[in-house]
Amino acid sequence: MSDRTGWLLDLYPNQQGGTSLWLLGDDGLRYHLHQPFPTTFYAAGPAPRLRLLWHFLENQPTQVALSRAERRDLFQENPISLLAIQVAQPAAQPRLFQQLAESFPDLSYYDADVPLALRYAAVHNAFPLARCLASVDETNTIHEIKILDSPWDLDPPPAPLRILHLEPDCDPSRKAPKAVLIRCERYSYRLALKPERPLLINLRAILDCHDPDLLLTCWGDTWLLPHLLKVSKAIGIPLPLNRDPAFEAAHRAERTYFSYGQVVYRGRQVHLFGRCHIDRHNAMLYDDYELEGVLEIARVTSLPLQTAARVSPGTGISSMQMLTALRQGILVPWHKQQAERPKTALDMFAADQGGLVYQPLVGLHRDVAGIDFISMYPGIMVHFNISPETVGARRPDAGSLEEIASPGGDEQPGLVPQTLQPLLGKRLAFKARLATCPRWDPRRKACEARATAHKWLLVTCFGYLGYKNARFGRIEAHEAVTAYGREALLRAKEVAEELGFTVLHMYVDGLWVKKPGAATPADLQPLLDAIAERTGLPIALDGIYRWVAFLPSRLDGRVPVANRYFGAYQDGSLKVRGIEARRGDTPPYIAETQMEIVKILAENGADPLEACLPRILKLLRRRLADLRLGRVPLQDLLVNQKLSRELDEYRVPSPPARAAFQLQALGKSLRAGQRVRFLYTRGEPGVYAWDQPVPANPKAVDAARYGELLLRAAAAVLQPFGMDEAELSQRLFGYAQPISSGLVLSAGVGNYALANLASACQ
Amino acid sequence: MGRTLPSITIAFLQEQQSFARFRRALRRSDQLALDELFAAAHQHLAAAAYAAHPLPFETFLLAMLLEEHKQVLGLRRRLDELLAAQEEHAHPE
Repeated sequence: MSDRTGWLLDLYPNQQGGTSLWLLGDDGLRYHLHQPFPTTFYAAGPAPRLRLLWHFLENQPTQVALSRAERRDLFQENPISLLAIQVAQPAAQPRLFQQLAESFPDLSYYDADVPLALRYAAVHNAFPLARCLASVDETNTIHEIKILDSPWDLDPPPAPLRILHLEPDCDPSRKAPKAVLIRCERYSYRLALKPERPLLINLRAILDCHDPDLLLTCWGDTWLLPHLLKVSKAIGIPLPLNRDPAFEAAHRAERTYFSYGQVVYRGRQVHLFGRCHIDRHNAMLYDDYELEGVLEIARVTSLPLQTAARVSPGTGISSMQMLTALRQGILVPWHKQQAERPKTALDMFAADQGGLVYQPLVGLHRDVAGIDFISMYPGIMVHFNISPETVGARRPDAGSLEEIASPGGDEQPGLVPQTLQPLLGKRLAFKARLATCPRWDPRRKACEARATAHKWLLVTCFGYLGYKNARFGRIEAHEAVTAYGREALLRAKEVAEELGFTVLHMYVDGLWVKKPGAATPADLQPLLDAIAERTGLPIALDGIYRWVAFLPSRLDGRVPVANRYFGAYQDGSLKVRGIEARRGDTPPYIAETQMEIVKILAENGADPLEACLPRILKLLRRRLADLRLGRVPLQDLLVNQKLSRELDEYRVPSPPARAAFQLQALGKSLRAGQRVRFLYTRGEPGVYAWDQPVPANPKAVDAARYGELLLRAAAAVLQPFGMDEAELSQRLFGYAQPISSGLVLSAGVGNYALANLASACQ
Repeated sequence: MGRTLPSITIAFLQEQQSFARFRRALRRSDQLALDELFAAAHQHLAAAAYAAHPLPFETFLLAMLLEEHKQVLGLRRRLDELLAAQEEHAHPE
C-alpha cells in the first residue's frame, strides 16, 4: 500500500467495472488509478409494478443488488418508499436504466441520469483539480481517497497542467488548412498536413515527448481532431490522443438551440479519456472568461473539465443543485412532475412579471450617481430563503407578497439557497479583491476571469428556478424572486425621493439618481445606508458620473429606451450601453470612431460639445476621407451578424442571409445561430461574404453606405449634446440638402449624409 | 421568454395597433397629436407593468392624462410667472 498525492485531472467509468481516475502526481508523474464505485438509482410506483420490476432485474445479465428504501422527494411532504437498484459497474448503469425506462415507462425514476462525476463528488467531495491523497495498492486500486482542499478556497494552488496548443494555420471553414501549429512549453512546431504519414509520426512523437494533460485547440472539435483521427484510421497509424488506450475519442453531434432570446450554435465535440480537450472556439463563453474561468466552473460545479468547458452555465448550476440534493439524500427526479399550481387570472396578472425596467428621462444629466444592488436575485434567494420547496409553504409567494417579509431567520435553508450561498460568498470575495487590486497586478486578470465565471453561474440560477424542465425549478419560486426584486427597487426609489434625490432611471437592480450638491461618494452614503436598511439587501455605489446621456429609441425620438446610454465617470472612465460601439455586429471602423467621439466628449468638462466640436469634426472628416481613399482596411468594414433562422426559412433574405447564400453556393453551409461576416458592396446583391476563397474587391465597397452608418453613429452620441444628424451634416459639409446624383439613395434620415458623402467623394 | 402573459410592451403595441383604423381616418395633424399621446403613455410602461391591471388600456389612458396634466401644470406656472412679471412692469415700485 502506498500514498499518492496530487491533483485530480479526470474521472470516468471504465470497462473493468469501476471508476478510472487520473492524478497529476506531486512527483511530476501521471497516475491512472482505479476504484470500485457502485452506483444506486431508484424506482417508485405501485407495489405490484415494483415487484414485477424486481423479478425483471433478477433475470437480466447486469449484476445488481436490490433493496427497499425510503427517501425524500423535494416536492412531497413525506418520504416515499422506493426500490433501490445498486449497480456494481458504473459503466453499465446508463444502459440498464434506459432498458428499464423502456420496459417500465409508468414508474418514476430518481438519481437515474446523474453523471458519474457528480455521484463521486457527492460521496468523496472530489472536484476537478482538487488536491487529493489516495492510498493505493500495487494494482493502482484506490482503497481510500482524501480530498485536501475545497472548491470554495479563494486561492487554490495552481495545478501543474501541461498544456499543448494545437491549431490549423487558418480557419478551416474559410479555406483548407495546409499545416498544423503546435506549441508546448518552450517548443513550437509546424507540421504540414500533407503528406499524412510523416504528419502522424511527428505528432505521435510530440505527444509522447510532452505527454500533455490538456489539448487546447482552435477548431479541434469541429475540424482538427476529427480530421486527424480520420487520417490516422485511413492509413493505419494509431494516434494516441487519449492517454487511456482502452478508449477511443468520443464524438458528440452538433446542434442549434434557442436560449435567452438568441439562437445558439454548438459545433460537434471530441472528448478524450485521461487527457482533456478544450476547443477555444467551441467552448461556452470562452471569450468571456478564458481557461481560468473554465477551470473555476469545473471546480465549483464538480463537472469534468471537458464537460464544464462546453456546457452552459445553466447546466453548471443545475449540476450544483443535484450535488446538494445527493449530499442531503434528497431524490433527483429524472423527469420533473410538478405542474404549476392553479391560480386565478388576477393572481396571474400580479405574479407573471419580470424585473422593473423604467424608461429613463431622456437627455443629458450631470453629477449622476449609479447605485446597484449586489447580485440582487441570488441575494434575494439566499437572504429570503427562496427555493422551490419553501415558496408557498414557508415563504409567501409572489401573488400574496404585500411587503418584503423578514429574512429566513432560523428556518432550515432550502435547496437553492444552500447551493447558492457559497457561490455568492465567493463572488463577493472576488469583487472585494478586485476593488482593491491595482490595475497592474498580474493576478488581476485571473481574478476577473474567475469572477466572471461566477457571475454567469449566478445569473442563470435565477432562470433555472423558473425553467419548466429544470429538476428543481418551480415557477412560483421564480415569480417570488422577481416580486421581491420589484419591491426592493421601489423601496429604493421611495428612500431616494424622501432624501431629495431625483430618480432618473431604474433597471431591475440598479438606479441612477441625482441631487444638487451630491457629487461625492460621501454624499451618497446616507442614501445607501437607508436603502440597505429598508430592503435588507446589500447595495453599493457603482460610481458617480460627471455626465450621463440616456438616448431615445432609434425609431421614435420621443420614446425613451431602457438600455441605450453612455456616460463619463468622475475618474474619466466610460460606461457605454446599447449604442453601436457596443454591438457585436458593428464594423470596427464605425465602432472605433463612435467610441473615440465618446472619449473626446468625456475628456471635456462641464459643456463638452462647445470645447471639443472642432476636434470631433476633424476626426469625422479624417475618417470619411480614409473611407473615400480606400485607406480603411477591409477587415475594419466587416459586418458580423448572426443568422436568426435557417437559410431556407427566409422569405426576404436579410444582408447576412444573402451573404450566407453566397457561401452556400460554394458548399459551405451555415446553420441558424452561426455568424456571417460580410461587406456592404455596391450593386446587387449588396453584400460580399468575407469567408469566400476569392478576396473581396476593395473597389466594390459601398463607401456611401458606410459613410451613412458612420454619420448616424456619430449623431447618436452627439444628439444629447444638442446636435442632430442634419446639423452635424451641415457642420461637416456646410450644407444639408440631398442632391439627386446617380447614387442609389436609401430612404429615411440617412439621405443627408449619403448625399453629402457622395459630393464629398467627388 | 418563458412567460405566459404578453409583456407590457407587447400589450402596449397591441393596443396601439388596435387603433390603427381610427388613426388612419384622422387628419395628418391629428395623427401626429395622437402619436404624441401614445408616446406619453409609453413613458410609464414600467409603472403600468407594476400595476398589473387586467385592462391595461385604462392604465395607458391614465398615463396620457398624467402627461397632459403635467403640461397643464407647467403652462399654468409659466403663465403665473408671466403675469407676475407683467404686473411688476405695469406698477413698478
